[in-house]
Amino acid sequence: MLRFVGRRALYAVPLILVVIILMFSMLHLIPGDPVQALVGDYPVPPAYRQAIEEKYRLNDPFLVQVSNYLINVAKGDFGFSYQNQRAVLDLILERAPRTILLASVSFALAIPLGMAIGVAAGTTRSAGTDKFWTTTTLIVYAVPTFWLGQLLVMFFALHLGWLPTQGIGPMVSRAQGFAWLLEKLRYLALPVLAFGIHEGMRVARIMRASVIDTISQGYIITARAKGLTRGQIIRRHVLRNSSLPLVTIAGYAFGSALGGAVFLETVFTWPGLGLLLVDSIRLRDNMMVIGVVIFSALAVVAMNLIVDLLYAALDPRIRTVR
Amino acid sequence: MSDSKATAPAVAGKGIVPGSWQAHFANIVGTRHGALGAGILLVLVVMAITAPLIAPYPPLEQTPVSLAPPSWPFPFGTDNTGRDLFSLILYGSQSSLLVGLGAALAALLVGGTLGILAGYFQGPVEAVLMRLIELFQTLPVIILVLCAVALFGSNFWLLIAAVALAIWPMEARLVYGQYIKLREREFIAAARVADLSTAHIMFREILPNAIQPIIVQVALDASIAILIEAGLGFLGLSDPSRVSWGRLLFVAQDYMDSAWWMSLFPGAAICITVVGLNLFADGLNEIIDPRSTSGMGGLQ
Amino acid sequence: MSGVQRDRSEAGTTDAPEAPDAAAPVLLDVGCLKVHLRLGHAVIRAVDGVDFQVRQGECVGIVGESGSGKSTLARGITRLMPNVKIAELSGNLRFEGRDILNMGDRELRTLRRGRGFSMIFQDPLGYLNPTQRVGRQIGEALSQDATTGSYESRVWALLDEVGLPDPKNIARRYPHELSGGMRQRVMIAIALASDPKLLFADEPTTALDATVQLQVLQTLHRLHRERNMAMAIITHDLGVVAELCDRVYVMHTGKVVESATTVELFENPQHPYSARLIDLSTRRISQEHRS
Repeated sequence: MLRFVGRRALYAVPLILVVIILMFSMLHLIPGDPVQALVGDYPVPPAYRQAIEEKYRLNDPFLVQVSNYLINVAKGDFGFSYQNQRAVLDLILERAPRTILLASVSFALAIPLGMAIGVAAGTTRSAGTDKFWTTTTLIVYAVPTFWLGQLLVMFFALHLGWLPTQGIGPMVSRAQGFAWLLEKLRYLALPVLAFGIHEGMRVARIMRASVIDTISQGYIITARAKGLTRGQIIRRHVLRNSSLPLVTIAGYAFGSALGGAVFLETVFTWPGLGLLLVDSIRLRDNMMVIGVVIFSALAVVAMNLIVDLLYAALDPRIRTVR
Repeated sequence: MSDSKATAPAVAGKGIVPGSWQAHFANIVGTRHGALGAGILLVLVVMAITAPLIAPYPPLEQTPVSLAPPSWPFPFGTDNTGRDLFSLILYGSQSSLLVGLGAALAALLVGGTLGILAGYFQGPVEAVLMRLIELFQTLPVIILVLCAVALFGSNFWLLIAAVALAIWPMEARLVYGQYIKLREREFIAAARVADLSTAHIMFREILPNAIQPIIVQVALDASIAILIEAGLGFLGLSDPSRVSWGRLLFVAQDYMDSAWWMSLFPGAAICITVVGLNLFADGLNEIIDPRSTSGMGGLQ
Repeated sequence: MSGVQRDRSEAGTTDAPEAPDAAAPVLLDVGCLKVHLRLGHAVIRAVDGVDFQVRQGECVGIVGESGSGKSTLARGITRLMPNVKIAELSGNLRFEGRDILNMGDRELRTLRRGRGFSMIFQDPLGYLNPTQRVGRQIGEALSQDATTGSYESRVWALLDEVGLPDPKNIARRYPHELSGGMRQRVMIAIALASDPKLLFADEPTTALDATVQLQVLQTLHRLHRERNMAMAIITHDLGVVAELCDRVYVMHTGKVVESATTVELFENPQHPYSARLIDLSTRRISQEHRS
């Protein structure tokens, strides 16, 4: 089993390499001055221009440039964001925890919510209940997160005035202890609600399909023949087996969210990686863009590995294969 | 959902050949939500085509009243520059449908071709193509599109290409899967024995048998493309020269406290379109595999 | 299949299964049972007015080709219909005099949990939960009124009883780690856990290798005798019937076309369909012998 995961990890390395190389090469596809492309829409002082040209060997052949860039990345040097006056990696590391917080809390809401709906819809004896949930999840999942966010802001923050409209809270807060936590939660509430509902609908749809598949399996008949109650059958035989496909898809969704919940962070001006990416694109700060994209790829690949491990933990058949 | 009346081939007796195109279509319309989805799409298409005729104002005309709430002359209100939102939403359907249809078809063309190639020629071609698909599927779709916008700007037609580039792997996987399933079947073997050309086997023998799940995927792809287009508009990264529902939301973001209608109507338009496409896909899916949507009865 | 037949021919007819005890009380009484399934617009009369009886401690065979309704009959009697639409389910269905057709869920569960009826299936891999250790799967079927021994020792005893070596080790395994024959024995252990008075076996050996088939049949036969447990074996294989059953019902298109003792059926089939079944199976065997 460890070998299986190890092999998957090794497989991820070239993938990341290709992403980095592709991103760097794409910059060369843009017509115009490569230095300008790296720095963004700013007047570049000649001294800085020279430093950039030397650092990225922009006058050398393309292959030298790429390998030079790769070496820098391997050393943890993703370059310098001229517009932020910060090292790219620095800024990513500052922003990442906020995105991770947002994504984790949202998924902590989405997964139980979605599983509950999925199981309820998948196991109900009434066609009406099933239809109600399939229709509801279909419609709610079609609501883009950014619009859902706007609706929540307009209702809870502006109309009712219960919660703040945006941001992660005051830079300097006098609140202490529990009050501090409460203040943080007030800022977290709406983004998490929007994200959690959206992802929860995805989870619910996968879960329902998976539950329906599971309950048509023979071992459910066996469980009925044993005289187990409906609740016992669902807890012991349906839940775990129908979570398997969920792990894969929710894992990927979570990995994507780590790479930047772009829309959500924009609606709520939540200063995470997503907002960083969008701002950098608007300002053509390509160093920064490449950095965030590489981080995003890393997040997805890391999540895929965790999914593999989880899968093996849930399904004994995987453990013995290979 | 498990209504057997709706899923049964209801058209068999009307002189329509079962399994034919007409029969498939009649079946989609036969399922209630499939019909609803098809209806929504039809209305949208009509809206997009006739927008110049039925819109009360040209898309960019600024009326003297800005930020007017919904009222009789402006059923959806006006925006910050005095433009009529009802007219804007009618025109916005053009961008959404163009991106949805264009990107989904382009993705089908690229993904389908590569999927066919991977499925038909086994060995190295297959291996290389599958790695390429995996590579594209590593990055989230929206990140891929944002990269393209970052590099090439936000021209409308480039946007369609970028979305297609981001979603083709889904098509490729599906088409590839269908091919793997079908290439072992007897009629393909028979075609090979009969010495028919490769192209003939691919397009005349295999494709018709794989078409239904592909249409479902195209409908779902179109809904993803529309969501991405709206998303880019919302981020302010779409083509500024075109009316787009997402871009209306981008502007609305600054007026949430004063003009709720600027957010409500464009957002609802996006939702209805996406729901329509998904209902349509669901209806079609139910015909392909009735079991997939039937609930349970027996868990006593 | 061939193994079973050969074994019987070696043993000869002198060792025919003991005659059914006609005086034994009726355990299961089925009268005019109808199970009609809905498929699209069509209604399939899978079971169409079947009379069927099992006495205490006897072994009854239900034979027929696939599609004859024999499996649906067993599913209908045990109330274990898979997820299908039922157009009609009617008739008289009594187990120890109690009406099981109209029995509530709770009562039905009690009957399944102890001293009632159990069922084993053709495909043990599909009918065992792939993500649970087999020990646990047997354990959750244990009848609650039995108090002798701990949970684990009762599981081990059951595994031992169905002829699996090293029960402690087997109990910790997952279904995919066992062979087909072992899995079917685990299925049998699950069925026995509730101390049933009647065991339904739906094609119990069809999915197994020929050599394993005989062993599993012998185990079933031994359990039938040792526990004095009634059995109803659903099969398309007349060899299995000859090996185990006292009486036979022959099913064809949802109806019982003949019911007789096993000896009577083989010696003097009354219905042409029965005769054809016997003819087909003997021809198959002689072909296998020749090759």
